[in-house]
Amino acid sequence: MDGHRAASLAPPVARLIEAFRKLPGVGPKSAQRLAYHLIRMPRAEAESLAEAILAVKDRIVLCQVCQNITESTPCPICSDQSRDRTRICVVEEPLDSMAIERTRSYDGLYHVLHGVISPVNGIGADDLKVRELLERLRDESVTEVILATNPNLEGEATAMYLQRLLKPLGIAVSRLARGLSSGADLEYADESTLAHALQGRTRSADQDASQSL
Amino acid sequence: MVRMSDLGEADRLLVLLTPGRGLMRATARSARKPGSKLGGHLDLLCHVSISISTGRGLDTVSQADTLEGFRGLRDDLGRLSRGLYLAELAERFAVEEAASHGPFRLLVDTLRTLEKLPADAADSLLRWYELRMLGQHGFAPQLQRCVDCESALEQKDHVYSAARGGIVCPNCRTRGDDPLLPAPVTVIKILRFLGRATWPEAIGLKVGDDDRRMVERVLRSHLHYVLDRDVKSTGFLDEVRKRLGVAEAAPEGDPPGDGARTGPQG
Ligand SMILES: [Zn+2]
Ligand SMILES: [Zn+2]
Repeated sequence: MDGHRAASLAPPVARLIEAFRKLPGVGPKSAQRLAYHLIRMPRAEAESLAEAILAVKDRIVLCQVCQNITESTPCPICSDQSRDRTRICVVEEPLDSMAIERTRSYDGLYHVLHGVISPVNGIGADDLKVRELLERLRDESVTEVILATNPNLEGEATAMYLQRLLKPLGIAVSRLARGLSSGADLEYADESTLAHALQGRTRSADQDASQSL
Repeated sequence: MVRMSDLGEADRLLVLLTPGRGLMRATARSARKPGSKLGGHLDLLCHVSISISTGRGLDTVSQADTLEGFRGLRDDLGRLSRGLYLAELAERFAVEEAASHGPFRLLVDTLRTLEKLPADAADSLLRWYELRMLGQHGFAPQLQRCVDCESALEQKDHVYSAARGGIVCPNCRTRGDDPLLPAPVTVIKILRFLGRATWPEAIGLKVGDDDRRMVERVLRSHLHYVLDRDVKSTGFLDEVRKRLGVAEAAPEGDPPGDGARTGPQG
């Protein structure tokens, strides 16, 4: 029905709706609402929005080291010599590292995977920044990797997978402590819960004995 | 719960396999926020009881309770990758608004079995499940006679055609140019055995590595043809097995490559 309606719209409007629909979490109805909102928007505001979009595309890059989004690489965190360079906290998305930064109880470095292993969507480790993580661990004097993926099945699968992958490297691997409510996203966790989860992180037990396949 | 994705600010979009209504899509509002009453119950591979409110647009989950969380699947990469595969396969066969009591039961029972299963029996369980799932939907491969000329198959090596849907005899193998897979006698016997076995019989079956691989290839190509696409989670399944070197489980006393040991007869 929506496709039908869009077909009879003026092409620029249809194109805009189509573009909005590709955004995460935006369905056909919201896409239409956003498009009509833009049509009524003063030209200056629309221009500033368009510029802002281009600016992120032109100026924002991925940090060569931690893969976080940044204006300059290495990013401020990776270049900050006062941070503990023996620890790397692995997160799914840039927003997750910001959530952990807000707790002020972690002063190590980060690594952003840009996603999570999602078998039913065909997303595997090769689609994430895993190779970059392994590369980093070879060079740096890292002694601990903290796996801070989301406390749901795909987050746990990713953490278990990385744990397996890192095992031969002889680096201590820990996971966030439970206490994070399962099913929730890290970026929404309140600061004290997240801080506790960081402090109470558990050394990943050597699961090999019980691993089966 | 067979599929889950983020929606909007903090909602989730769920795809559920239900016994009564087949595949269902529903949103769970605010499920990604901590303390959400729904969030803790909604995750992949969870067997849940939910209440749905229907309104305009998508159905909304108003209440959710975990019946089985399958903890044993979630703590172990091998089991987890297999469990996700079982669920995706059930999803691929299911359609919306069509009862799927049989497949639903089959999935839940098989996940339950997998949860406690030693590694070396898991592959046989998967092959058994694939044949069951195919059978329930009327796509079982023809293993008893030549799928083309319907002549009885001699006790020897044959080939398998996914496009034709079963074993092909030597006379018919040159007919057509569809891809053919090797189907040695032992492979045919294993497939027949799994096709009529109960699950306890299936997991008791010991199969050598080569045969296991060939059986898997035959069924995978059959499924690909029937579903007209790949089952995506096979990627993770293979990766966990191969790249992580999570042992191609070599249980004691089971040297690889010694053919079918517990003889599947027939
Ligand atoms: Zn960085
Ligand atoms: Zn024939």
